[in-house]
Amino acid sequence: MSLLSSVRRRRTAAVAGLSAAALVALSACSSSASAPSIDGGGASGHLSAYNKIITAGPVASDSEINANPWAKKIKQQGYLRVGGTDSGPLFSLRDLNSGELTGFDAGLSQMLAHYITGKTDVKALTKLTITSVDTRETMLQNNTVDAVFATYSITPERAQKVDFAGPYYQSGDSIMVKKGNTSIKSVKDLNGKTVATESNSTAALAVHQLAPKAHVLLFKDDAQCVAAVQQGRADAYVLDQGILLGDAQNNPAVQVVGGNPFTVDPYGIGLNKQSGAKPFVNAFLKKIFASGDWAKLYKATIGTVVKGEVPNPPKIGSVPGS
Amino acid sequence: MHLIVTHLGFLMQGVLFTLGLTVIGFVGALVLGTVLAVCRVGPITPLRVIGSAYVEFFRNIPLLSLLVLFIFGLPDAGVTIPLFASAAICLALSASAFACEAMRGGINSVSVGQAEAARAIGFSFLEVLRFVVLPQAFRAMVQPLVNVFIGVLLSSALAAAVGVAELTNRTQQLNLKYAEAVVCFLFAGAVYLVIALAGGTVGSRLERWLAIKR
Repeated sequence: MSLLSSVRRRRTAAVAGLSAAALVALSACSSSASAPSIDGGGASGHLSAYNKIITAGPVASDSEINANPWAKKIKQQGYLRVGGTDSGPLFSLRDLNSGELTGFDAGLSQMLAHYITGKTDVKALTKLTITSVDTRETMLQNNTVDAVFATYSITPERAQKVDFAGPYYQSGDSIMVKKGNTSIKSVKDLNGKTVATESNSTAALAVHQLAPKAHVLLFKDDAQCVAAVQQGRADAYVLDQGILLGDAQNNPAVQVVGGNPFTVDPYGIGLNKQSGAKPFVNAFLKKIFASGDWAKLYKATIGTVVKGEVPNPPKIGSVPGS
Repeated sequence: MHLIVTHLGFLMQGVLFTLGLTVIGFVGALVLGTVLAVCRVGPITPLRVIGSAYVEFFRNIPLLSLLVLFIFGLPDAGVTIPLFASAAICLALSASAFACEAMRGGINSVSVGQAEAARAIGFSFLEVLRFVVLPQAFRAMVQPLVNVFIGVLLSSALAAAVGVAELTNRTQQLNLKYAEAVVCFLFAGAVYLVIALAGGTVGSRLERWLAIKR
């Protein structure tokens, strides 16, 4: 009896050990070339330059804050509760060495928090709650977060649920293909092809509209879409131009084609409708557009991959829904 | 609600995909699970080891990891399988481990005397299983297998994360366009509930049909 049970115990331990070893071996042989690099610079020099841009931004006067109940509440709170992501290259990525959130969206949220509270410790300015396309509007409506900075495209349908401050960036979609693929040059060539995009992106809607005969595959995140193109599951990947350029920079097996972006995608800051925050945040945006802080942040984030001059900031309220 | 009604065709296609994934996954799990259960209770030691290793591995790995490894890891090794097929295969592989254990539990619930008596009158191992043990074991296996079925149905929603256009994926697409999260996901939840209840009802009917009438 005891001999049998000790044999069984040894066997179970052996099986468990083998499975664990197999799992470790599988994870170790993942190809790092296709994974997006951890941008933002591990070097502390890069980070401190970024922090300087944030803390150099304007700070609101007491009268401006007291005039707006939403801003007053946040100043008393001491930090801004932000809904967003921490795995979006160029826009909101967590620097793994310091734990700080960096990127264009992250920087704007930190600048807004600095504007209201006046604090200078960039890491403590905002508290991030991860939101997805499925949860953003609900989180704003029940005040789980104060504002949403998540490459949030302004659409009239969404504007019925939440308020949008901005637009703060005019994005556009572009196309990524495997290097050497010359059959796809513009969005019209996508008809009849397999196109990958993120399941939480309006790029999916754009492709349905502009290339209705394309077969659309939706994946959960950027890395999966790039892997799909690289491995031949999809012929092309459509997403925001900035993100695609960032991926292509790190991955020599893919390239971005199509010239200028073929859609116009205005990003806005999501706010609760009843809070009265919109005019306050719009005033903040107007200030940083005029003072050049917006341009500095752009140059430090999106400007590192999108070549050319810093574009003019978009006109506030110029888009239906904003 | 108006939103759901307008897009009912689109969503129903998603339901078809979900049902397809569930049926293929469950049938695959039953077949593979039966083979594994026979291996595990059989007299051949290497087969027993293989069966145990398979079950310990596939029962304890998250289905999402398996899906991602299969869909994004295999192509690096040279084998690219279409998305729907990959999702169905992963579901079958994962659920077969649970099905195997459910069947083994049912087989062990048949008293040893039955197997001994069958051996005594000359049945071989497979004949013992086929004519004596499995027919009696099946009664005990029905509800655990219904559990496996419901598990496969609900796990099929994970395939949405890797691009398969089943119900959850299509609900997410609708929500993306119209920002009606609560309505969309309540509808999807209701559909899953209805299918699971149907599975449970079939299970109870089967159980009653197999019950010993005294």
